[in-house]
Amino acid sequence: MSVLAPSTAWYVYGVVAAAHAAALDTTIVAEGDLAALVAAVPLSDFADDALPDRLNDREWVEAHVLAHQDVLQSVTAATTVVPFRFGTVYLEVEDLRAMLRARRDELRAALAYVEGRIELGVKAWAPDAEEDPAEAPASGRAYLQQRLGARDAARRAESALADAADDAHARLLRHAVDGVANRPQPRELTGRAGRMILNGAYLVDDPAPLHEEVAQLSDEHAAAQIVFELTGPWPPYNFVGEGA
Amino acid sequence: MSAVAQDVTLVELVDRVLNQGVTLTGDLVLSVADVDLVYVGLRVILASVGTLERLDSEAHA
Repeated sequence: MSVLAPSTAWYVYGVVAAAHAAALDTTIVAEGDLAALVAAVPLSDFADDALPDRLNDREWVEAHVLAHQDVLQSVTAATTVVPFRFGTVYLEVEDLRAMLRARRDELRAALAYVEGRIELGVKAWAPDAEEDPAEAPASGRAYLQQRLGARDAARRAESALADAADDAHARLLRHAVDGVANRPQPRELTGRAGRMILNGAYLVDDPAPLHEEVAQLSDEHAAAQIVFELTGPWPPYNFVGEGA
Repeated sequence: MSAVAQDVTLVELVDRVLNQGVTLTGDLVLSVADVDLVYVGLRVILASVGTLERLDSEAHA
């Protein structure tokens, strides 16, 4: 590495309207009517050869993911923000400015889309299936029937859960400007009893109707022991597109 | 606007912070987008899953 290589880089949390950036307690780089929320970060953490190792360091990831979220969450409370994905880093401020110029139209469109809106998360959890302590079959034929019966029952239960998740997502969407059903997090990651059957995110103007729908869904599915959980408001991570 | 984050886990955060948001590729020097985040995230999270009480309490602060 050349001795002239910079030791810091510019980490980008997200973009806000430049007019609203001055009041924020975050370093900004403004270009036209857009402002990037930034922090100077050590290049030793984010260089191509260092990042994969860092991302496999749980404590490092936890600290930096929290920092990313904390900055965006505090900004969200003050103004509309287009969140960037974790780990967007520029070596030079001029590169960052060039990005803001090149992507001005899509960033402005993204800002307009999420303006005054918040993201809420709704998850639904189904109980783990219980094995019925079946009576010992009297014959081979009875055993076969028992197995087939159990298989059919499991299929019906699975189908009912899928329907419940689809129905819940459709009803929640009615109270949202936009919504997405993300892939449910696998059990190995959630580390808790029960199975996630809905991992939804919803962009709303007013959170109250969505809260009410979640309460309603909880009541309706209480007998089936399906639990609904609401999180947020989040910065609108799920509704700012994939970039380009 | 008050945050009402409930039971926010590292998984929940990673689900959004690492997997969502504007993803720029091709025009920046460094990007996590170049790394296989599904794989990376899995390894990271398997190491420790738990409720981040700190975040939760700060969200309510």
